[in-house]
Amino acid sequence: LGTAEIAVSRAETVSEVAALESSLVERCRKGDAPAFARLVALHERMVVNLAVRLLGDREDARDLAQDVFLQVYRTLSRFEGRSSLKTWIYRITVNQCRNRQRWWRRRRRDQAVPLDQLKPSEESQLRAPSSTAPFEGVARRELAERVQRALLRLSFEHRSILVLREVEGLTCDEIAVTLGLPEGTVKSRLARARAGLRQVLLPEVGAA
Amino acid sequence: MNCAIVRSRFSAFIDGDVGAEERRALGAHLRGCAVCATELSALETALSALHELPHADAGNVAAAVRDRIELERRGPGLQLLFRPAWKARPLLGQSLVQGALVFTMMLSVVFSLGRPWRGVDPVDATLSRWETRLPPSGTEGNPLFPSAGVSVPQVRARGQAPEPFLSPEGEGSVFLETVVARDGSVSAVTLIEGDLQEARALADALRLERFEPSRVGGRPVAVSLYRLFSRTEVRAGRS
Repeated sequence: LGTAEIAVSRAETVSEVAALESSLVERCRKGDAPAFARLVALHERMVVNLAVRLLGDREDARDLAQDVFLQVYRTLSRFEGRSSLKTWIYRITVNQCRNRQRWWRRRRRDQAVPLDQLKPSEESQLRAPSSTAPFEGVARRELAERVQRALLRLSFEHRSILVLREVEGLTCDEIAVTLGLPEGTVKSRLARARAGLRQVLLPEVGAA
Repeated sequence: MNCAIVRSRFSAFIDGDVGAEERRALGAHLRGCAVCATELSALETALSALHELPHADAGNVAAAVRDRIELERRGPGLQLLFRPAWKARPLLGQSLVQGALVFTMMLSVVFSLGRPWRGVDPVDATLSRWETRLPPSGTEGNPLFPSAGVSVPQVRARGQAPEPFLSPEGEGSVFLETVVARDGSVSAVTLIEGDLQEARALADALRLERFEPSRVGGRPVAVSLYRLFSRTEVRAGRS
């Protein structure tokens, strides 16, 4: 396929997804329960994953995911479609996580982020590729744990940008829409967040 | 291009967000500076590890959300009772009627406890009917019986047993009830057991008797006396 053909194909795919999304949203607005169940099923994994990275606790993340989808259910009529549904749900998730962090901070719980609890749960979730040698798998797992802990030591703003970019794979303009920030601000914050992560990991990764 | 500037551009470099000329300059610096190259490599390793973080299991979020939406749609607690009738559940009306009936029954039981029995007992009703028919107690029509509170009437003038009762041969007995009136006379004689002819003669004799009337609390009352008259034949034996 030539470059032009690929571009057309991609545009068709994007427009198809947008049309499907629009249809789903419309059905949800009319109170179609199976359509909303479908919407939740399509996005629950993404929401829980983002919340785990931002909060550092899987149970809290699942609990928060319920709140996120309830908010989606209540406010879907106000969704104007100016951004994608996914970006809109990301935005709700980040805002809910930020609110929950503030709630914790007011109750001094942010000092007790369950890093140690995260370790075994995440460890059990890790699946090293079958082609990877056992020692390499262990090393990767340990590094993943360190990275997750380092992530939780960053500020919420830096953490959210880093997770949206590196874990969720959003582009800078998508992150800008999600967080309601100018794209330039997103890029500069992303650079600082990456440097911050590197700084936190310096004693460990720097020696590698 | 010094190390600080190079490191500040790492993020843009990784994203491919640098121009061709800047890219060449950065590449040239990295080839000549092992520290910056190591630094970039470490950053890429960290970001790679971040990218490969495992996805968390979503659990049963969809079901929990569905339940919470259903709960929200129904409305909690008292809101269920106070919402408009057309939104009420089909069984709500029946439940309320049944609840009201049970509540009424409980109230009835609570209020009836501790109240005296106002129903008419059949035995008491019969007695009260008899009491209304009978003359006042202690009068000749409804005499009392001698007891701890009712003295026995004392005889002032005893009558003689009549000849007809004493003359026949053989043994016999007559059981009679006599009513001693409030004035001390015998107002009635009733045969309970015995020969009627003999009883008549005895009754005529008994009606002549006079008594000191019985008294209750100093007031004369009529009393009933049961009396047994027996005749025993006594024969002289031959010696």
